[in-house]
Amino acid sequence: MKEDSKFDLPQGTLDLLIMRVVSLGPIHGYAIAQRIQQMSREALQVQQGSLYPALHRLEYKKLLMAKWQATETGREAKFYELTSRGRAFLKDETEKWKRLTDVVGLILKGTLEGVS
Amino acid sequence: MNWFRRLFSRKSMDIELDKELLFHIEAQIADKIRSGVPEDEARRLARLEFGGIDQIKEDCRQRRGTVWLESLLQDVGYGLRQLRKSPGFTLTAVLTLAFGIGANAAIFTLVNAVLLRDLPVVDPKSLVRLGNWADCCQNSGPKQDGNYSMFSTETYEQLKRNSPEFEELAAMQAGFENRPVVTRRDARQEAPRPRMGEFVSGNYFGMFGLQPAKGRLISPSDDLAGAQLVAVMSYSTWKNVYGGDDSVVGSTFWMNTKPVTVIGVAPEGFYGDRMSSTPPDFYLPIATVPDEMGGKGFRDPSQNWLDIIGRVKPGIAMLPLQEKLSAELKGIYAKDSHFSAADIAKAHLVLTAGGAGTQSMQDSYSSNLKLLMWIAGLVLMIACANIANLLMVRGMQRKTEMSVRTALGAIRIRIVRQLLTESLLLAAIGGVTALAVSYGGARMLLMLAFPGDQHLPISARPSFEVLGFAICVAMATGVMFGVAPALIAAKASPADALRSGTRTTLGGASLVQRGLVVFQAALSVVLLVGAGLFSQSLSKLQHTDMKLESQNRYIVHINAQAAGYKDDQIDALYRTLEERFHAIPGVVNVGVSTFTPMEGNDDGYGVHLVGESDIHIEATNIIVNPEYFDSVGTRVLMGRGINAHDTATSPHVAVVNQDFVHSLFKPGENPIGRSFVADGNSPKPYKIVGVVAGTSYTNVRRNGKRPMYFGPLTQPSEVGYAGAIVIHTSHPISDMEEITRRTLMGINSNLAIQTFETFDEQIAGRFTHERMLATLMLLFGGLALLLATLGLYGVTAYSVARRTSEIGIRMALGANRSFVVTMILRSSILQTLFGVAIGVPVAFYGATLVRSQLYGLTSMSGSALWAAVGMLLAAACAAGAIPALRAASVNPVRALRME
Repeated sequence: MKEDSKFDLPQGTLDLLIMRVVSLGPIHGYAIAQRIQQMSREALQVQQGSLYPALHRLEYKKLLMAKWQATETGREAKFYELTSRGRAFLKDETEKWKRLTDVVGLILKGTLEGVS
Repeated sequence: MNWFRRLFSRKSMDIELDKELLFHIEAQIADKIRSGVPEDEARRLARLEFGGIDQIKEDCRQRRGTVWLESLLQDVGYGLRQLRKSPGFTLTAVLTLAFGIGANAAIFTLVNAVLLRDLPVVDPKSLVRLGNWADCCQNSGPKQDGNYSMFSTETYEQLKRNSPEFEELAAMQAGFENRPVVTRRDARQEAPRPRMGEFVSGNYFGMFGLQPAKGRLISPSDDLAGAQLVAVMSYSTWKNVYGGDDSVVGSTFWMNTKPVTVIGVAPEGFYGDRMSSTPPDFYLPIATVPDEMGGKGFRDPSQNWLDIIGRVKPGIAMLPLQEKLSAELKGIYAKDSHFSAADIAKAHLVLTAGGAGTQSMQDSYSSNLKLLMWIAGLVLMIACANIANLLMVRGMQRKTEMSVRTALGAIRIRIVRQLLTESLLLAAIGGVTALAVSYGGARMLLMLAFPGDQHLPISARPSFEVLGFAICVAMATGVMFGVAPALIAAKASPADALRSGTRTTLGGASLVQRGLVVFQAALSVVLLVGAGLFSQSLSKLQHTDMKLESQNRYIVHINAQAAGYKDDQIDALYRTLEERFHAIPGVVNVGVSTFTPMEGNDDGYGVHLVGESDIHIEATNIIVNPEYFDSVGTRVLMGRGINAHDTATSPHVAVVNQDFVHSLFKPGENPIGRSFVADGNSPKPYKIVGVVAGTSYTNVRRNGKRPMYFGPLTQPSEVGYAGAIVIHTSHPISDMEEITRRTLMGINSNLAIQTFETFDEQIAGRFTHERMLATLMLLFGGLALLLATLGLYGVTAYSVARRTSEIGIRMALGANRSFVVTMILRSSILQTLFGVAIGVPVAFYGATLVRSQLYGLTSMSGSALWAAVGMLLAAACAAGAIPALRAASVNPVRALRME
């Protein structure tokens, strides 16, 4: 996949993606970045420069909590997981996102039909 | 983790962040190595991909939400460093604030405690007092204005019976402070001591809704004739005198030689029904007065001695109740033969709020306290003007600094915030210091107002209101006078400020600054004039001819009644006292009387001449022994004094004072040989045998303007037993008190000294009030002067600093030192003169407002005015001279090279 086929994320979606990944189980920052890249089939590459501030913001908002534990290689890493508040937030936001994309998709589809 | 803990675990959080990011990079490297990249290359690539690590860290920190606090801490730290760097400025500002606010807080503490405080009882708002002035302590007969505030036992009982509007109506002894109870606990070998005992009605504690701290309180069944003698002890006496000993309750005390059972302890904090420097130690039922006090006059229907306070039922309107009670009072006096038809028509009472009890102390201090509040307010204004000036000077001094900071990229809001933090910091330090000053100040005020009293139920500790008040004032001052210089400094366009350097000729103090100095000077004039007026008033008071001799006189008070003396023994006691005291070497005269001059107490009676019952006057009666007039130095002007031939069997005689003659006789009429009647005092008319000079008795302001008549100790009178002994010696005797104690013990072991003072001390005690006012005015005036001087110095010093190069040029061009000194001094003196011009008319106006509190000064005193202006000008010269001399010592070459 070429560099220019990657795109910037709309405002606020990074949080959603991070929380989705974290919802699968405790996970550290590096793995989150890897996971997003994999799940998007390499279309999204999360920059560390935005990942870590986002993680810290979510932790400060008490949507995520973190603890230090050993990885499979035996090193200490900071693992994030969802708080109950984070879980509820994720559910809400996912539904909103779905509705939004449905509606936007519907309108864009109609416009294209009209154009062509 | 909350923000507070985040703040303090900043360090460990930073370490964790490092660890987290490092883990990320190493994982990335490991991945790359696994995919075949050489280690060095993997490391390089990973770093490259990761980007600016410090930027990420900063971003993460920002997300924590403690940035504002961190920068605040930075500001505070920086501000503290700035303040430490200029200790002179900091000290001046902090002290200015501390004294300005501290003085206010101290006064406010007292106002709060003395004037605004309610009694610590249940629902004080529903309490109502019958009467609106502090009458004391026992009197009879009609009042001139017909306004009654003190009542007899019989009147109280009748009002109580006929007033269903009250849930409870209770009575209490008005002048208990003047009739201590000599008390001795039975269980221990205790010496008898005079203690405050207040006689109260049986429903007194019930009316206030109080619960005992121990045992039980007085109930109506204790207040019946023939009931067992009981007393309730005050909590502070129980704690302080008897160490909270539980066995006190139920034990027997000997009060005025009678056995009394203490049945309980009053609740903590209850200091009786009035603010007093001598609150009651014991509460005793009214019905037991005859047993414990000998009962002279207490059951007499014409003797008024009770204050009445009641708790009204909800929804009762005050005005109709007042009308009804006044009508009731008229009905009672209608049956009294001493009241004429006019007296009865005038008779009324006024209802007042009873929540604060009988406000005798409040009445006597309210005008003083209000005056002090005004003065403290003025001092605060001066202090604020000073702070404003200091901060503005400082703001301008730092213009260059701010310009540099702006030029280096500091945001304007950050600079303003920094300066604001600094002034708030200053205000906070000032505020805290002010609390200390306020505590000390309130202590000092209490000591000045009530010297030697430890029992006053007023604490110098500032209340929450005072605390809030002090902090608000400090903060407001800080913000108000911090913002303006901050904005000025921040607005500076950096290039301009940096370019212009310090060379300027206009750059003296601004108009605002000069205005502030003028304002301070004006206020100082007002306060200094005030201080002068009150000091003059005090000195006039003290140097008034009181028509008495106080040198080598000692005054002892005893209570013969309390020591168990009866009517048939008292004459013998008087004779024994005269003999025993005369036997002491050096004693010239021994006066025995009911009251002595400048003691602050008297017995008043309605008096009229025989055959002229339409002219009534109120006159004071004192009974005296033959040597009394000589012992206090009262001169006999006409006829004779009291002598040894006036006995119980000889004609009933009296010696009157000059004012008595002026009040009852026409000019030129000879009073000697005429007779008068004193209602309620003596059944027999008095024949006037002599006239004495008008010695000052209760109050020097009256200066003898009080009709008085003196009867012999030996002839029947209702005033009670004489309790004052005046010992006149030929030379000062240092251990007179000990000699007196031994002499009294030799007569009867129950005779305790109640008070022992020299005559001079007794007189000085009457000026406490005035002395307090004069001292405080002097203190405040001095404070104002000091602050104004500091302000003037600050402004002058500032303008000298700004004009250094100008002065240098002038001197280089030939100006000599004296020219420079004059130039600088002229401006500081000019500002002071402006202040004087404004202050003097204000002082004149202020003097008219306080005229009622001054003695012997009918208008503005010229000397006080000149002294104030002179002092201020001297201070202005001093404040201007230091910077002026500094300016004159400027080396022109150096001044010019300075840039």
